[in-house]
Formats: sequence, C-alpha cells, structure tokens
Amino acid sequence: MVEAGRLKLGFIALNDAAPMIVADALGYFAEEGLQAELSRQVSWATMRDKLSVGALDGAHMLAPTALATSIGAGAPEPTPLVAPLALNLNGPAVTLSSRLAGVVGDDGSADGLARLVARRRQEGASPITLAVVFPFSIHNYLLRDWLARSGLDPDRDVRLTVAPPARMTGLLVDGVVEGFCVTEPWDTAAVVAGAGVIAVRGGRIWPRTPDKVFAVAEACAAADPPRLQALLRAMIRAAAWCDAPDNRAALAEILSRPHYVGAEARVIARSLGDIVYDADGAGQPLPVHAAWLLAQMMRWGHIPPDTDIAAVARRVYRPDLYAQAAASLGMSTPAPTDSLVGYGANGAFSLADARGEALHAPLSRVSQD
Amino acid sequence: MRVLLVDPDSARAALVVEGLAGVHPLEVRHVATFDQREAAAFAADVVVVAADSPDRDTIESLREATSANPRPVVMFVDRSEPGLGEEAILAGVSAYVVDGLSKARVRSVLEVAMSRFSLMNQLRQDLEKAKADLASRKTVERAKALLMKERGLDEEAAYRLLRKLSMDTGRPLGAVANDLLAFAGVLKGTKDG
Repeated sequence: MVEAGRLKLGFIALNDAAPMIVADALGYFAEEGLQAELSRQVSWATMRDKLSVGALDGAHMLAPTALATSIGAGAPEPTPLVAPLALNLNGPAVTLSSRLAGVVGDDGSADGLARLVARRRQEGASPITLAVVFPFSIHNYLLRDWLARSGLDPDRDVRLTVAPPARMTGLLVDGVVEGFCVTEPWDTAAVVAGAGVIAVRGGRIWPRTPDKVFAVAEACAAADPPRLQALLRAMIRAAAWCDAPDNRAALAEILSRPHYVGAEARVIARSLGDIVYDADGAGQPLPVHAAWLLAQMMRWGHIPPDTDIAAVARRVYRPDLYAQAAASLGMSTPAPTDSLVGYGANGAFSLADARGEALHAPLSRVSQD
Repeated sequence: MRVLLVDPDSARAALVVEGLAGVHPLEVRHVATFDQREAAAFAADVVVVAADSPDRDTIESLREATSANPRPVVMFVDRSEPGLGEEAILAGVSAYVVDGLSKARVRSVLEVAMSRFSLMNQLRQDLEKAKADLASRKTVERAKALLMKERGLDEEAAYRLLRKLSMDTGRPLGAVANDLLAFAGVLKGTKDG
C-alpha cells in the first residue's frame, strides 16, 4: 500500500514534537507500514535547509518558518511547503528572570515591564534583553504583540535576540537575557531551576495559540499522497494518545528520554498543563491561523507588504489533507473555521481581515500611503 | 579575509582550520559557541557554521545591521552557481557572508570547509568500523575458546566449525560467534539456577 523506503523526519527537543515522538516510541509509524526514522536537529535554520534540499522528508516546524520558507522570506530561494497537520496549540510562554518577578501582574499584561523599561531609560541603564528561538517563530510574534499591547516597541524599547531553547535557563542565570519566549518544557525548566517566573502563558495572549506544524515539501506531498496519509494517521493517533489525561505521566516519561527531549521527567510532567495536541480539532491546520501569523509578519515588516496572505495561507495550510487522514481513522473533523475569537483589536479576526490587521495593528511597519 | 568558524566539534574544526590555513592568506578563528560580542570584535568577513551547531539560529537572526551588530550577516546565496548551497547543506556546513565579499573567495573557503567536513565524516565512519571489527574479532576468539573447551577441539577445528556455521546460516562470523556465546551463557545460567 505504502511505498517502501526510509523516511527521515526532523524534530527539535520540545514538548510539541510529541505527536512525532510518540508515533515513533509506540510504533505507530511501523503499524502504518512506514519505515520512519526520527532525526533530532539543533537549529530551525538547519531544519528548514534540510527539508528544502530533501535531506529530511518531513519536519517539526515553527508555523511562521513554514510560511516564510514557502514564499522565500529569509531563505535563499522559496521552497513551497505544505502543513497538513498542526502539532499542538498553547505551547509557548513568556518567562522573565526571577529578579523581575515584581513586574509580573495578575492580568498577564506587560504593563509592569513597560514601567520598568521607562524607569531604566530614565536611569540611563541598558535596555532589557529578551530572547526568542528564531526570527520566523511564533515566539517572536507572540512576544512582539504582548509588548506592543503595553505600548512597548519591540525594536526600540527592548533588545530582542535569538537563542536555542535548551540554553534559555543558562542565559537567564548568567544575566545575558532577562526574559524569553519559548515553548515548554524550557519555561518550566527555568522556574524549577529558580531562575525564572512565568509572566504569561501564550493562551492568554492568543487563545489556543498556534505553534508548531508538521511540514513537508509540496512536491513530496504531491508525489506520494498515500505515504503522506499514512504519516498523518500515525501522528494523529499519537496526538490523541498524548491528550488522554491517563497518558500524561507516560508521555512525560517518553519525552524525557535522552534521544527525544532529554529534560527531566518531573519537569516535563509539570510543563504539560496547557498544551493541546488533538482535543477539539487542535490538529487541524487552520488557514486562519496562517493568515493571522502572516498578518503579524507583515505588520512588523518581515514579509513584503504586497504578499497575498489568503492565497499563501490556503496553499500552505491544508486542512483537507488532515480531514482525509482523520476520516480514515473514523474521526470526524469540524469544518475549518475562518475566524478566531480573542484575536486583534475587535476581539475577532477573520481570514479576510488579514491585510487590515497588518496595516492597522499598533506600531505597524506597513506604510499606509 | 577573516573567517570565523563556529563548530562544537573541536576535532573537525581543527581539520577545517588546518585546511584553510594551508591555502589562503586569511585569519581563521574557531569557537565552539557563538558569542556576538566576541564575533564583532573579531570582525569576521565570513562566518562558517556547522549545521549541527545550536548557534545557527542566533547567527541567522543577525541579518540586519543594528547597533549591536553593525556589520550585517548575509546568508551565503549564489544563484549563479546552483547546487553549491545544496551541496553545503548535505555536507553539514553553512556559511554567512558579512557585507559584500567577492564570491570566488567565499566559494573557496566554503569548498575547503565542505571537503574537511566530509573527510571528518569518513574518518569517523572508519573509526566506527575499526572498532566494530575489533569487537567482532574478540568475540570470535572467545567463541573459539569456548568450543575448544566444551568440545575438546583444537584451535584450527574450532575456527572451521564457526566458519561452517557462518556459511550454513549466511550470517557474518562475528554474529554467529556472538549467538554461540549468548546461548552458552543462557545454558550456563539454567544449570546454575
């Protein structure tokens, strides 16, 4: 049924790689007749490059990177990718140094941080440095929006830098950065180490925060649709397994293995509170999520202002491929929604609003003349 | 030309540095982890990064000139020579060029780095194979000794028996010897238990 041949799938040591990791650990890939081998990568740039040249057949990928790569933003050449599966929602959090715990308020806003930035500026002190994991990352855009809502300009009022997730706690301890936005378990790892406090979880900024997708080259997806469906079935089954409350302890143990995430099981167990892998259609790659992210990328001047957001969103995000795999497992999938509640100035964002959002969001870099 | 090599693998880095030093009039510095301030002080023209360095994403983010990064890092792109970028990725190397440098010079640096990365790969594979061969030879010696003791064979006869088993089953000598030792262990365990 499925063509022979080994498949190489790249992942990064994070909780949201769980659907790939669990499909591997529990033998779901093999049950689909696939010879899939997981290959741990240490950088998103290398993941993108390897997927682009075919050294990887599928990848755990930051949603904004999948979109940027498809249109050639930040990459040497555009490589059209498709995202037929969302690996998770609610992965990231904003963590600040324990020394800044005083600025963290109950409302989850950055208002306290904004007051601190103003005070430091008056004192002539150096700006606060915050780290994200990659330029084209959900973390970069989530953090930027969180700062902007409290009147902070992410490019002027703070210094944004990029660092690998597993190194964040060390950077916090050494005072190189004073906060970061990263996906679990690396927020909880900083808390357990006594180095940081979680200022706000992603879901309070953008409800059901989109995060990682499973991405494949568009050409590969078209070349062997049955194989892609088999991959998706294995990971959808794994995602459902991950979400079953009775399996969370076992999930923490699997993720903690050295060749997977490699953090302590007790830290991972504590860090799985918010993440959703499958429940309520979480695995559906929603084009409206893609449109929201593209609007953010345009807002901050990271993609050309004439990008056709709806077209890119619908070409890369493929809920039809997801629905087909889910249906073959006997799971029903709701029709993909075209609007997001709790997003944007009006508290509702629809796919058709993307350009307006990019233009009118606070601090938009798109010139409107 | 100043080349900054970011590679967590110091043995491999030494090979690259040696390769570059021999051919070009350039200054090469190797660091295991990337530090922005240190890199700025060195004022590199080319940054060569191992694909398995976690610092790649940080370097990738330094595209725009800022006060912290006055010399922007541009990804090495050369559309006039298709395949070079792909080759480099497969060899596990990426290169970032700082502010317009001659393509030919960058290419030569990248080619040395790629060939040295491949060489290191080959060396590592050879070493693994040599280790495996040695382990297999030791296993065969032990299996031979076991046969000599249990079956009262001389060394030559014990070896012939092992080789016959190997040929009959179509499996490598080392694997047959390994099975024999494992079974002997199980049988001995049963007797003891």
